[in-house]
Amino acid sequence: MSAMRVDTKVVMLGKESVGKTSLVERYVHHRFLVGPYQNTIGAAFVAKPIQVGDKVVTLGIWDTAGSERYEAMSRIYYRGARAAVVCYDLTDSSSFQRARFWVKELQNCEEHCKIYLCGTKNDLVQADRGLRQIDFHDAQDFAEEIGAQLYETSSKTGNNVDELFQRIAEEYSDSAFQYMSNEAGVDLSQKKDSYFYSCCHNN
Amino acid sequence: MSQKPERRGIHVDQSELLCKKGCGYYGNAAWQGLCSKCWREEYQRAKERQIQEDWAFAEKLQREEEVAYASSQGPSSQPGPQPQAQATPPHAALTPFSKFEEKKTNEKMRKVTTVKKFFSPSTRIAPKKGLVEREDRTLRAWRGIFSPSWEMGSPTEALVARLREGHEGKTSSPSISRQASLETDRVSKDFMEFLKTMQRPGREIHKQCRAFIESMANKKQDLGADELSECVQDFYQNLSDRLMSHFKGSSESVERVMDQVEKYIMTRLYKSVFCPETTDDEKKDLATQHRIRALHWVTIEMLCVSMDEEIPEVSDNVVKAITDVIEMDSKRVPRDKLACITQCSKHIFSAIKITKKEPASADDFLPALIYIVLKANPPRLQSNIQYITRFCNPSRLMTGEDGYYFTNLCCAVAFIEKLDAQSLNLDTDEFERYMSGQASPRRPTDDGGWPLEAGPSPQGGAAAAASSVAVNPALAQLHHSLEQLSGLSERQDRLMEGARGLQEELVSWEEGVRREVQHILERYPLEVRPPPASAIDTENAETDRLPPPLTPQVFAG
Repeated sequence: MSAMRVDTKVVMLGKESVGKTSLVERYVHHRFLVGPYQNTIGAAFVAKPIQVGDKVVTLGIWDTAGSERYEAMSRIYYRGARAAVVCYDLTDSSSFQRARFWVKELQNCEEHCKIYLCGTKNDLVQADRGLRQIDFHDAQDFAEEIGAQLYETSSKTGNNVDELFQRIAEEYSDSAFQYMSNEAGVDLSQKKDSYFYSCCHNN
Repeated sequence: MSQKPERRGIHVDQSELLCKKGCGYYGNAAWQGLCSKCWREEYQRAKERQIQEDWAFAEKLQREEEVAYASSQGPSSQPGPQPQAQATPPHAALTPFSKFEEKKTNEKMRKVTTVKKFFSPSTRIAPKKGLVEREDRTLRAWRGIFSPSWEMGSPTEALVARLREGHEGKTSSPSISRQASLETDRVSKDFMEFLKTMQRPGREIHKQCRAFIESMANKKQDLGADELSECVQDFYQNLSDRLMSHFKGSSESVERVMDQVEKYIMTRLYKSVFCPETTDDEKKDLATQHRIRALHWVTIEMLCVSMDEEIPEVSDNVVKAITDVIEMDSKRVPRDKLACITQCSKHIFSAIKITKKEPASADDFLPALIYIVLKANPPRLQSNIQYITRFCNPSRLMTGEDGYYFTNLCCAVAFIEKLDAQSLNLDTDEFERYMSGQASPRRPTDDGGWPLEAGPSPQGGAAAAASSVAVNPALAQLHHSLEQLSGLSERQDRLMEGARGLQEELVSWEEGVRREVQHILERYPLEVRPPPASAIDTENAETDRLPPPLTPQVFAG
C-alpha cells in the first residue's frame, strides 16, 4: 500500500481563515505560502512521522472545514481523534468564541481527545500590538480551566509551530504506552466467545 | 454539373445483408452478420464451451483448495469427493477451533448444528430449484462432487447459477453473474498464491478464514448487521493479534496479510452482508437518492465551490471524480471502495488546484465533494458507507488517508441530508420554491458566461422555455454538437464540390494535353528520310593529308 501507516489522528479545528491550513503547511513543508503553491495537491490530510525519543510516531493531521454551515458535521470529523488543535486568530475575537464552542463540543463528545489551544498569526501581533484582540492571559486562563495547553504560533515565521506538534506527538506516545498496558489483558479473554464459540451455539 | 451523385452514399451489396451462414435470411450486424436463428445456435455453442471451461477451472480450483486444506488438516478428515461426504467438511473445519474454546460443549449439540448447517443452504436455494426439475438432479450431483454447498459465492455456486441460466436460455444476465463468480475465483486463487509464499502460517490462516466464512454463512440468518460486523471485526482483531506475535511485531507484514485476508473474506461474504435485509439500508439508499434528485437545482455558486468548470482540465477532473464515486458501488472489498473515494478526492483536489492555483484546504474540499456527490448521485450510497464502516479494517478507517476522505464523504452525505435554506445562503421562501420545483435558479449559459446574479429566473412559461437550453448543460452540449455536425457537413459539401471540380479539371487537362500533342504532331509530322548513302571517309576532311597507305615491298634476300 502506498498510504503511510498512521498511528494517531489529530484534527485541526477553527474558524475559516484562522490559518489551520497554513499551520499544517508550515509544519509539514517548512514554508509559508503566499501566491501560487508548488507541488502539493492538497493540504487537507498529511501523515507526518515524528521522532519521539527512540520511537517514531506518525501523526495523521486532519484539516477540517471551519465554515459554520458544516458545524453540525464536525462531530464526524473528530470521532476517534486523540488530539485536537483548536485554532483561533489572535487578531479576531470572534474566532476565539468559535474556539470555545469547539472545546465544549470536544469535551462533550470525545473525552479521550487532548485539546491544544493555538492562537495563530502571532507575527501580526508582534509587529503591531494594537492588532491583538485576544489577551494572552485570558487565553491562558481558559486553557487552564479546560486542562488544555496554549501555544501562540506564527505560520509565517514558524514560531512555536514545531514545538506544538512535537508536544502532541510526545504526549500521544506517553499515553499510548499507558493505554496499551491497561488494555492488553482484557482484549484476549473477550474474543474467545465472540465468534469461534457462538457459531456452534446459536441455532 | 454533378457527376454520379449516388457515389456519395454507402453502397451495400444485397448479398452482404444476408446471413453469413447462407441460410437465406437476412443477417444483422449486432449478431455478427448472422440471422437470429443461426446466431442463437452459435451463441449457445460458445456458451456451452465457456461453461465447460469454467467447470474445468472450478474443478482445478477446488482440488487446489482441498489439497491446501487437507495438508493443514491431516488425512483423517479430508473431505471426500462423494456426495455422501458433504456433511464432513463443516464439521471437520470446526474441529481445530475446539482448541480455542475454553468450555467444551457436548458433541451431540454440535452434530445437530452441523447437520442443520448442511441443510440450511439448500432451503435457501430451494425456491429457485422449482424452476427446472430435470436439471435439478444433475445439479445436486454436481454440487456434491464439488465444494460443500454452504459456501456462498463459491465457484460451484456460481456455476450452478450459471448452468441454470444456460439451460433456461436466459441470454441477458449471465455476464453479470459470470463476472461476479470469476472475481470470486480470481480472489480465491490470488489468496491461495499469496498464502503459499508463507508456508505453514499460510495454511493456518487459510484454515481460519475458511472456518470463519463458513461460520458466518451459518450465522447470518439470525444475526443483525451490527452483530455480523462485530464478528468480522473480532476476527480481524484476533487474527492480527496472532499475526503480530508471529511476525514479532512487524506491523507492516501484519498489515499486508490482513489486507489479503480482508480481500478474501469480504469478496466471499459480500453477497450476504452487503445491504442485508435485517437493516433499513435499502430504504436509506432510496431516501438519499430521492433527496439528491430533489436537490438537482443546487448550483456550484450556492455551495461556494472553488472549481471553475469552464476550464477544460477542471471539468475533466470533475467528470473523473464523478466516475470514481459511482464506481465505488461496483467494488466488493471495503478497501477497494475506499480507494475509489480516495481517487475521487484526489481528482477534486486537482480540480481545485487548477482553479485556484493553490492547493486546496478542507474549506475548499468539503463543498466540492458535496457538489460532486450531488452531481453523481452514487448508487446505494448509504449501503456502501454502512458496509465500509462495518467491515473495513478499523485502523485504516480511523486514522489513515483513506479514512480522512471517507469521513469527508460521510460529512457530505450528512450535509446533504440536513441541507436547508440557511446552509445555501438562501431565503426560506426561495429554498421552498426550488424544492417544490416552482422555480429554478439560473445556471451558467452554454457560451461560458456566469450569471450576474444567482437569483431565480423570472417565473413564467416563456422565460422558462427560453432558459431551458441554458439550464440543462446536456442540452447545450447537444446543440453544440449539432452545430458542429452541420458545420462538418457543410465542409464535406465544399470538399465534394472541390473534388468534383478537380475531377473536371483533370479530364479537361487530359483533353487539352491530348489536343496539344495532336496539334504538335500535326505541325511537325514525322518524316522518315532515307539516310544518304555515303562512304565512311566522306566526312573526313583531313584524309588527303594522310600519308599514302603502306604498300607491301619485297626485299631481296
